[in-house]
Amino acid sequence: MLRSGRYSTALSTALLVLASMAMPAMAQQQPIKIGVAGDLSGAAASIGQAWADALKLGADEINAAGGILGRKVALSVRDTEFKVDVGIREAKDLVLREKVNFLLGGISSGVSLATSTSVSKEYKIIQISAVANTHRQTVELFQRYFFQVVPNTFMEGRAAAMVAAKQPSWKNYYTIGYDYEFGRMQAGAFVETVKKLRPDVKIVGQHWPPVGETDYTPYITSMMAAKPDVVYSNLFEAGLAAFVKQALPYGFFQKVKFVSFADVSSMMAVPEMPEGVLGYTRGEFYCENTPQMKKFTEAFLQRYKYYPVSYAVMGYDSLYVLKRGIEKAGTIETEAVLKALEGLTYEGLRGTFTIRAFDHQADVPEYVGWTVKDPKYPFVILKDIVKVPGSQIMFTEDEVKQMRAAAAKK
Amino acid sequence: MTAADVLGQFLSGLARAGVLFLIAAGLSFIFGVVKIVNFAHGALYMVGAFLTYSFRVTLGVPFWASIVLAAVCVAVIGIGMEVFLFRRVYGRPVADQLLLTFAMVLIIHDVVRLAYGSNLRSVPRPPLLAGAVFLGDVIFPSYYIFIVLTGTAVLLGFWAFLHKTRLGKTIRAAVGNREMVACLGKPLPWLFTAAFAAGVFVDGLAGAIGAPLGGIRLGMDFDIIILAFATVIVGGFGSLPGTALAAFIIGEAYAFGIWLMPAIALSLPFIIMAAVLIVRPWGLLGRSGGGEL
Repeated sequence: MLRSGRYSTALSTALLVLASMAMPAMAQQQPIKIGVAGDLSGAAASIGQAWADALKLGADEINAAGGILGRKVALSVRDTEFKVDVGIREAKDLVLREKVNFLLGGISSGVSLATSTSVSKEYKIIQISAVANTHRQTVELFQRYFFQVVPNTFMEGRAAAMVAAKQPSWKNYYTIGYDYEFGRMQAGAFVETVKKLRPDVKIVGQHWPPVGETDYTPYITSMMAAKPDVVYSNLFEAGLAAFVKQALPYGFFQKVKFVSFADVSSMMAVPEMPEGVLGYTRGEFYCENTPQMKKFTEAFLQRYKYYPVSYAVMGYDSLYVLKRGIEKAGTIETEAVLKALEGLTYEGLRGTFTIRAFDHQADVPEYVGWTVKDPKYPFVILKDIVKVPGSQIMFTEDEVKQMRAAAAKK
Repeated sequence: MTAADVLGQFLSGLARAGVLFLIAAGLSFIFGVVKIVNFAHGALYMVGAFLTYSFRVTLGVPFWASIVLAAVCVAVIGIGMEVFLFRRVYGRPVADQLLLTFAMVLIIHDVVRLAYGSNLRSVPRPPLLAGAVFLGDVIFPSYYIFIVLTGTAVLLGFWAFLHKTRLGKTIRAAVGNREMVACLGKPLPWLFTAAFAAGVFVDGLAGAIGAPLGGIRLGMDFDIIILAFATVIVGGFGSLPGTALAAFIIGEAYAFGIWLMPAIALSLPFIIMAAVLIVRPWGLLGRSGGGEL
């Protein structure tokens, strides 16, 4: 008895020692916590939902394949409601209470800019934006914890303008854009570029409806009274749906050419969208014919029963960018991952891109084409697509420096 | 700027006025009779739009039947709210009424979110009203003619109801002197329920008719309800002709504002409201002290 008692004591001591040795290893096995803060309700609700859905899909894939550095990924998803104050509150809560290691977001430029400057910067947490794209977050209000893997507002406006400027008969432009960060900045970039490329172009008027506008009739009639050749718009979702519906009875699309944001998310909401509109988007599933895109599209469609819109494509990419960054750094320590992300070249669903070190902007493309109905889909898609590479539409390093210096003076 | 442009813009304003009036009419009427400021009015308008989507798109009910069914359903929801909740706060401080009706806004929003999610929905216009009427160079979408006619019908309908029917006359009497009407053996609470139902029915109708105008989505009520309140205040709380006049003024001010001075167009309705509040705090056609429909 005594003998066996000693034996068991020895055994349990050995077990205890082993267990205590295993403890740090188990702590290492805790999941990598990623805060997901985006507008899941409000004016951009379906955009935010698609983005969050893709992140969940990506996280499950990564976990099924063994995680990142052997650790699982855990997402904490928060709705920022298209409101700046809610965005700051939720992002702060993710950092302080949930103790997330990284932040992904946001959706609206206004909210994203706010979380970048008052949460990501304050608490030194890396934030990667896959949807919100005001260029101010990489230029004037740049802070080193912020990364952007979506073409910025300026790149979008510039890409659309480059194709529009090639249409010889388009001389008189009217612009209509949402009265907030994104709308103003993108319309500004469009006008600046089109005027530079075509000195004969005239802007006959500009409208800035509020995001929640539901009745575009007075805008439509006043634009038509000015008889422009072409109307540039950056309306999307509910606003675009209302605009197109209300413009149709006026024969608007027969009388003027239309340049429009043409993301699938908005096109699903606008079944009436006519053909022959010059549309631009950040990268839809039908824009790329690669096996990776096909695989992603099928997986997404099967799981969520709707097509992965560009926001899903970009969200998915952003999670893999973070994964590559962590793997390159070999740790989740912020400073090391930050260094790894600067200059990182990654293969995403839209191609192979590099994140520039001086502004943390990835050289992602913008896709510009003409709307056409396709019996395969319940929404219009783009054809004759021009994939404008990021390198052609990004600010140069000098431009960024000048703009930062000018902003610093102010 | 030609005469046709001016007329085109005027008609845009008229369409906007029609929508505003339909939403504001119920709000104003309910306040006129039961003296409650119903913050949930906008939320019920949204419910009307979503129900129209369900009837028309999901169930395939014909358009005209869909809008009537949606309005009736909203009226039934309204009656439930009045009987079980609002009745308890009549005569209580305004703050209590605001708290209760605002709570209803939050509850209705979450119910709609559960039932429909937060994606955008769309109801097509009926083929009969999908086109436009051409007056020379001026184009006026047929659907707007329908809206303006419905608005006019609602205004006349309320007038006829209040002045030509026994129930309407009793309601007017109750507004003037509740005690006397109660003494005559009239069931006062049910008179108020009837009035509330009528106001909410028109509200649901506004949502139903508004559904094919643009997109239907969660939160669509917030965008319009503030303007609806401004309309009611400008016209005079409780005065339906006042509400109609205010909707016309605000709609036209907005339409011409967007055309001629876009920088201040958005604030024009509120500038008008401020001006009216300074000169006639009881509204254009309201009476100081209220009490008249």
